[in-house]
Amino acid sequence: MLPTQLLDELQAQGLVPPEQVALIRQDEQTRPFSVHYEVRTLLYLGIVLLTGGLGVLLYQHINEIGHGVVVAGMTLLTAACFGYADRHRAPFTWAKVPRKGFLPDYVLLLACLLFLILESYVQYQYGIFGTRYGLAVFLPAVLFLWLAYLFDHRGVLSMAITALASWLGLTVAPLSAFTDNDFRSLSGAAIGLGVALVGIGLWSEYQDRKRHFSFTYVSLGSNLALLAATASLLDFYSTSWLSPFAAAALILVLSGFLVWYARRTHSYLFILMSTVYSYIVVTYLFFQVVKDLKGSDAVLLLVLLYFLLSGFGAIMLFVNIKRILRIAHEPESL
Amino acid sequence: MNLKAYNPLWAHHEAMRAAATHWQKRGLLSSLQLAAIVAAHPLDYYRPNIFLRIILFIFTIIGLSAASSFMALLFSGGFHSGNEEVLLVTIAALTIAGGLALLEFSIKTSRLYHSGIDNAILYYTLGWAVFLIVYFIYEVTPIGYRASSSLTSPAAAIVLLLVLLLLVAATIRYAERLVAAAAYATYLLLLASILLQFSIGRLVLPFAVMLASVAAYFFIKKLAQRPDYLYYKSCLQLLKVLSLVTFYLGGNYLVVREGNALLSDSMVSTQVPFAWLFYFFTGGIPIAYIVVGLRRHDRIWLLVGLLLIAFSVFTLRRYHSVLPAEIAATIVGAVLIAAMIWVTRYLRPSRHGLTTAADDEDDTRKFNLESLIVAQTANVPQPAEVGFEFGGGSSGGGGAESNY
Repeated sequence: MLPTQLLDELQAQGLVPPEQVALIRQDEQTRPFSVHYEVRTLLYLGIVLLTGGLGVLLYQHINEIGHGVVVAGMTLLTAACFGYADRHRAPFTWAKVPRKGFLPDYVLLLACLLFLILESYVQYQYGIFGTRYGLAVFLPAVLFLWLAYLFDHRGVLSMAITALASWLGLTVAPLSAFTDNDFRSLSGAAIGLGVALVGIGLWSEYQDRKRHFSFTYVSLGSNLALLAATASLLDFYSTSWLSPFAAAALILVLSGFLVWYARRTHSYLFILMSTVYSYIVVTYLFFQVVKDLKGSDAVLLLVLLYFLLSGFGAIMLFVNIKRILRIAHEPESL
Repeated sequence: MNLKAYNPLWAHHEAMRAAATHWQKRGLLSSLQLAAIVAAHPLDYYRPNIFLRIILFIFTIIGLSAASSFMALLFSGGFHSGNEEVLLVTIAALTIAGGLALLEFSIKTSRLYHSGIDNAILYYTLGWAVFLIVYFIYEVTPIGYRASSSLTSPAAAIVLLLVLLLLVAATIRYAERLVAAAAYATYLLLLASILLQFSIGRLVLPFAVMLASVAAYFFIKKLAQRPDYLYYKSCLQLLKVLSLVTFYLGGNYLVVREGNALLSDSMVSTQVPFAWLFYFFTGGIPIAYIVVGLRRHDRIWLLVGLLLIAFSVFTLRRYHSVLPAEIAATIVGAVLIAAMIWVTRYLRPSRHGLTTAADDEDDTRKFNLESLIVAQTANVPQPAEVGFEFGGGSSGGGGAESNY
């Protein structure tokens, strides 16, 4: 076994006394095997399956089941979940609340998803919001935002932001933000919401108001804003209100901010995002300059030189930047 | 000449630091002792955070591709048309030589250790080397055999053998896990290629793959006993995962049936012989993996087993419609939630050597990841359509992502 060899070595080097080595050895042998993350993942999978299945089930069989039964049953279930989560709730503070167990967190998540199904059902069947569909999405956004702060829950915060975005007709989900959004008509809203979210993240970080929420705000917000700005920069949509120059400037400023934020919070995901988007901008600007030049061979040479030099230049920058950014050997993290 | 490109002490110091940090978090070492251990095991190599490695990887690939194209542009003046093949081979040879020199030089001078840059140079160089092998074997193959470029031609077996030797040599020197994985894939392809030369081959192929996986597993286990295990730790762990996965896939009903159809060039897959046996494998192997993982406290077996169950469900639902999807999802979801709540309560604080408490308390990064997963999977419906769709959550695959 590996730890045994390492312990032998530490003992031989005199770094750890023999009694302590024996203690560690015993701990290695008797320590229970933790299935913490496996259980949590399966629990979350169960919640997603149940709520996804239930949503479709009610929708398809809407006329076969008694409406009163469905509404009563769903309300009871939702209330029970909220009640359970509330019973285990710690008093509110602006700091991170220590957890005793993870079950209440997931029950709260389940309660929120059940609430969404219930709300959709009631709206579909009884039309309580009439034709004001926006309200049907705005209500959960506000509710979830309140719950997220009350229960100190980052997952519910994500749902609140998702709901807020879909109230504006946008998708903030990290992977579907690109495919599902219609930037032609919504690039202004997307950039506005993205920048606003980044601003709120900045505020929580600086004012120490739920500082651990800032990652969720900044990651979802900056991804949305950068995508929308890049889409208008690359001229996919000629009717866009944002001039390419303003979009490029916005991307570069936002990227600079992300580098600063990454350094402050040691979340290097943001350095990756800012680098990719700024490189797209710089490359785009380079091609704008080059495309008007005459002589295909010379242009080809220039383009190759650009990629060669920018590639190796960026590598040299990043290898040497670690002193500037104080990037040490840290455990892997987001 | 030293067989290993990187300093083996780096891997050793890295493992020592990780173990000491873990013991300190569990309260078995004082922070003073940890500081002393850290000072005695310096890490003087360059390997930044995973996201910076991705950046370095991307830019290295961009730079190298531009360098190769640049060479092509420079040389293309010297060759007349019709000599493109000579040009291509020259570029390949120059890229391989230059890539290897650059790789060794940068490891020596900049102390890169799987930093994204060296990984990119290695992949790029190996890619061109594989191209050269394929090209030369194709050139020396008699014209009559060239037409059958499929897995069954003798030329394919020779190509695979040479590629396997190349990748194994590269793995021994650079201990790169994706190269090791590619070598493993080549090993299985080579086996299939040899077996398919014979008429009985197609029938025994599933069992041969399973046997080859078992052989690989025990070989990997033997390698893990070697004193230089730490240098190859990441490779061997990935190979262990792959050998478990391929053992399952070799006996999986869907893979056998569709693979059989593919090999016999038929458009529709039909029932295969020994179907009951493959159904048994499909259901039994993942459960066996999970049991072994929990009993032996082996996370790799456990996680592979959990992921493969999902594939078994997919296999079953592809050929048999047991229940409508939404009813199945509702029932499975409810059962999963109930079971996990029960498990959490049952294993508190710990039973049978298992616990649901976290090994270490510092999980803020994992919460960050979880919030992104929730944003991706728990979607709120868009308001635009009349009578908008139900559902507070798409049952898309995102939920199956693990929290690591």
